[in-house]
Amino acid sequence: MKTKRLSVTKNLVLTGVGGQGNVMASRALAGMLVDAGYVVTIGETFGMSQRGGSVMSHLRISPDAVRSPQIPRGGADVIVALEPLEALRVLTVYGNPEVSLLSNSRSIDPIGVITGERDYPSEETIRIAFARLTARYWLFDATAVGLDLGNPVLSNVVMLGALAGTGLLPIDRRMFAKEIRKTGSPGKCALNMKAFDAGFSMIK
Amino acid sequence: MKRKKSSQSRLKKEVLEQSLCTGCGACVGLCPYQVVYRDRTVQLFDCDLSDGKCRAFCPRTPADGRLLRDGLFDAADATDEIGPVKEFWFTRAKDAGLRARAQHGGTVTALLRLAMSEGWIDAAIVSGRLDGREPEGRLIDRGEEPADYAGSRFWAAPTVAAFHRMPENGAGRVGVVATPCQALALAKIRTAKIDGYQKGGTLSLVIGLFCGWTLALDRFQNLLNQYHLPAQNLTGMDIPAGKNILELRTAGGAVNVPMDEVDECVREACRYCIDSTAEFADLSVGAARFGGNPVEMSGWNQVIVRSEKGKNLVSLARDQGILECREAPRRALAELMSAAAEKKKKALARIIEKSRSPEKLLYLNPDDPAVRKYLNEVLQDKAKPLLKKKGDR
Amino acid sequence: MTRLLAPAGSKVLFLGNEAIARGALEAGVSVATAYPGTPSSEVIESLAPAASKRNLYVEWSVNEKVALEVAAAASFAGLRSMAVMKQNGVNVASDFLLHLTASGTRGGLVLVSCEDPGALSSVNEGESRYFAGMLEMPLLEPADFQEAKDMTKWAFELSEAIGNVVMLRSVTRMSHASGNVVCGTLPAKARKAAFEYGGPIMDSQTGPMISTPVVAKHLLRRQKLKAVCALFEKSPFNRYTGPARPDLLLITASACWLYAAEAVHMLGLQKKVGILKLGTTWPLPPRLVSQYLRKARRILIVEEVMAFLEENVKVLAAGNPKLSEDKTFFGKYDGTLPFAGELNPDIVADALVKIFNIRRCGLSSSYQEEARKTAAMLPPREQTFCAGCPHRASFWSIHNAIALDGRGGFVCGDIGCYSMAALTPANGFGTMPTLHSMGSGTGLASGFARLAPFGFKKPVLTVCGDSTFYHAVIPALINARHNRADITFIVLDNQGTAMTGFQPHPGNEMNALRESVPAVDIAAVCRAIGAKVAVCDPFDLSATGSVLTDFLAEKDSLKVLILRQACALSPEKKGKKTFEMKVDESLCLGDACGCNRLCTRIFRCPALVWDRKKKKAAVDEVVCAGCGVCASICPRKAILKSQAASAAASGG
Repeated sequence: MKTKRLSVTKNLVLTGVGGQGNVMASRALAGMLVDAGYVVTIGETFGMSQRGGSVMSHLRISPDAVRSPQIPRGGADVIVALEPLEALRVLTVYGNPEVSLLSNSRSIDPIGVITGERDYPSEETIRIAFARLTARYWLFDATAVGLDLGNPVLSNVVMLGALAGTGLLPIDRRMFAKEIRKTGSPGKCALNMKAFDAGFSMIK
Repeated sequence: MKRKKSSQSRLKKEVLEQSLCTGCGACVGLCPYQVVYRDRTVQLFDCDLSDGKCRAFCPRTPADGRLLRDGLFDAADATDEIGPVKEFWFTRAKDAGLRARAQHGGTVTALLRLAMSEGWIDAAIVSGRLDGREPEGRLIDRGEEPADYAGSRFWAAPTVAAFHRMPENGAGRVGVVATPCQALALAKIRTAKIDGYQKGGTLSLVIGLFCGWTLALDRFQNLLNQYHLPAQNLTGMDIPAGKNILELRTAGGAVNVPMDEVDECVREACRYCIDSTAEFADLSVGAARFGGNPVEMSGWNQVIVRSEKGKNLVSLARDQGILECREAPRRALAELMSAAAEKKKKALARIIEKSRSPEKLLYLNPDDPAVRKYLNEVLQDKAKPLLKKKGDR
Repeated sequence: MTRLLAPAGSKVLFLGNEAIARGALEAGVSVATAYPGTPSSEVIESLAPAASKRNLYVEWSVNEKVALEVAAAASFAGLRSMAVMKQNGVNVASDFLLHLTASGTRGGLVLVSCEDPGALSSVNEGESRYFAGMLEMPLLEPADFQEAKDMTKWAFELSEAIGNVVMLRSVTRMSHASGNVVCGTLPAKARKAAFEYGGPIMDSQTGPMISTPVVAKHLLRRQKLKAVCALFEKSPFNRYTGPARPDLLLITASACWLYAAEAVHMLGLQKKVGILKLGTTWPLPPRLVSQYLRKARRILIVEEVMAFLEENVKVLAAGNPKLSEDKTFFGKYDGTLPFAGELNPDIVADALVKIFNIRRCGLSSSYQEEARKTAAMLPPREQTFCAGCPHRASFWSIHNAIALDGRGGFVCGDIGCYSMAALTPANGFGTMPTLHSMGSGTGLASGFARLAPFGFKKPVLTVCGDSTFYHAVIPALINARHNRADITFIVLDNQGTAMTGFQPHPGNEMNALRESVPAVDIAAVCRAIGAKVAVCDPFDLSATGSVLTDFLAEKDSLKVLILRQACALSPEKKGKKTFEMKVDESLCLGDACGCNRLCTRIFRCPALVWDRKKKKAAVDEVVCAGCGVCASICPRKAILKSQAASAAASGG
């Protein structure tokens, strides 16, 4: 599927919980886009946020200029979430009526929920919030796909495949294959491609 | 909606922080939140349950003695001074060898042995050996010899915890040798109606011990240090009749400590205790002391039989020739009651001093007639100096 | 092949730190040193794999002071060298730095300071720009990724031009952000080291490398700044975009340039606001800055964290009446921008909105209301020790030992992952009430333990990590021993510098270059100091608890307990489980009296989950690291552990 070349900056937020492979996904995505000739800025925080905390990458994809590594409030065009609570968190700060959202449905309880001090929003509440705060959204279990393929962390690649499937960004399978060959072993590449394809097929 | 206060925090406020904890172990062994360490009951973490067994079983949380007595004893046997009395005997074990290993008459050991061999109980819980280690309750079964655990300990062991630690199904019926506070906790356990808690039914027999006080381990340890006496060298302790000393026995001889030095070492909580004869046990055993010649009485126990089961056990022991029983001199019971009543009054006086109110009796129920009687006497005694003043000319 | 060695002309997506590393390589750096510190660690981490190919010596030094000294030695020997650290690392190195700027340098020496405005990964929001002013060394601040590379390369040339240290300052949003960089050429020839010192005392290129005579060398240091200013006036790193006569002159540097550019763009103020982006921020090039100050009556200075740039601009303006009369300065001093925390495009936009008295087109109020309502119901995601972290087990044992002791003992905390015991009290089970800088826990403990004459009866404990031990704790430990401070010192030895990404330290037998090196044994050092030393596995709760209760009861001595167990994220452990853990639901008491969810409510391992429907605990096998500790704490032995297949196969 051929996608139109971007003429303005597109803002994408990739979010999840520390340890879910957020950083790898954002690097892979940025790598693909830099290859395609875009000026990409990624803003990330790691270190303490990794210890079970929320993780966010802001990707600024511009045809021409370097942008701030932080997206302004309400400025996200696309949100890709590896965890639904984090999807909501990002939506409430960077969302706007035109934003598109792809979210994994598998939840990871924060400690406060595990101990019973707080409640995790129900699936219905999440769907309603998604519907109200986005222009359109996709919600599916990417972790299940990853587990089927032998590693739950592959959910991040599943989400990238899904993102490609939506056509929201000018990325495709060929670009991903090229990117993954740069960084992974041959065995890992095959697995990643399977995950990518599975995600791609989630989008109807 | 206001959250109910947790049992644990109430236990802390009502008992631990009031220096009322007797170290009986009733709140320990139920869960990971409370432990006993070096004579202290320690709350390790916060539990937010409001219907916890720890507070329900603690002998120093408010409870109605009347309900407990009604559940365990015949009303006709009640006395105000020393609890229910069915029978009162002087006893001693027939076996002289057993008596030699025991504190006085070897009655407790003889009765435990009998209860086990007759199958009334499958195991017994006693306090651990005198070997200088951390005091704790010990579970002994048919294979072990109760005489190994004979001899008085003058410090608290959290014996009730050993009962809690027994597996849910498996140990069968249990007999416990208990101090008065432990016997009260065990009475609460036996009569408890708690959803899902069936264990109280395994408690078949409680043999109570007479008790005046226990020693706070840390202060007692200091005392031993002053006398250059390592705890592991102690073979026994006793207060010889008529003497105002604590006799500490070792392999190499005995050391006599004046009672006022010992008094400094008494555990704070004991000063608020009204029960010197273990009123909630099936039978209670002490050293024979009253109503006769000390020499003649040495080597004998005085026994208060309280429940039907207690009566049957003592009967069986006598019939089988395991226990020698004789009628106690008439004065013995009267003097025992008198001493017990004095202790109640002293304790009540301290309780109302602590609570700053004659209507607030901490863990005791002022509506319990057994308590009310002595409370009134204490209040009258307090008023006496005033009356005297009025009467002065 | 590492991306850092990409051929000239390649377009690569680099982290800001990688761009700095590439710049250093292009400058022909020979020696690069550092102590791990977020957000600076990736500079050395990316250089290490390239070291063998570039005749480069890379070292994780024991602390930042030594790192700078090692780099300085290389500089004295004529080699180009670099020392990298986070903001408070500069504080640690500052005593040597003070003397270094006076003695001067030879081979280009660049001090890279990566700072953390907003303390995203720090427990402080320190500022090392002031060191540039105080120690009179040039300060450069890159504002994007290409600049991070180009500026670093030029910094070495500048350092050699003036014979002094050059400071290059980055921030998290630059160091940890990524962007496009076009690579330059890597030099072919490597330099040779040589150190002569027989020349005149005032000649730092041939004479002795000393900071004396002090006043004379101080004046010499100031003299060098003239040359610096001349270079700064012409520097391509200072750029202006905007109208010839802007309504508002916005002066900025570093990542704040990107925020400012974005804010101006968002508000459509390109015709009204002129942005002067400075890359050479100290000393300010007077002619250049004056030239732009003359263009506008209103000036906004945008910087993180404190008002360093603002103060210097105002000092410059105050020196010339034409520059300061009739001018309004906006910035931190007048409250337009905050004195604390990091900035972002929204904060700068809010400032512009206030100055121009305009409205910002935002989201509809109904959307905002929906977002606000949704946000209110979201549970926060707290930081906690990872599943399988030895610290959780260590603090469990420490807490219990303190509770059993009963005298109100407490732990003086230190810097590392275990700092989280102070940041979120539940992580440390409430044991850690103090937290400051590296090594300060032992120093504080050494102080608390001397307060007995003042009626202080609480037992004093302190913890530190293995890396922290070598960094700063040893002197404090000697102090405790020599001054007879009765403390229980616990080393949480997880065999690496974990919080910052598992860099090696002197306790490991491998260094940054993956060479086999001798390890310095912590237990041996403590014994040599005269402490009583024990070593335990923190996963063995009963052994650890036993040693701790004994240590707490023992008076008048220095007691050291080393709790040794590898970090859950360490290379040897990551992805491998020792045990498979499972909850036996038939035994689990759940929230009933007798347990009340000890594992999910108190122990709080993220892999132990409370199933609300079944009212039982469960193990999340995706999160579980298989350490097995939870099996020891369950009062019903309902958590079962069995050897994991991988562990069994490897015989482990």
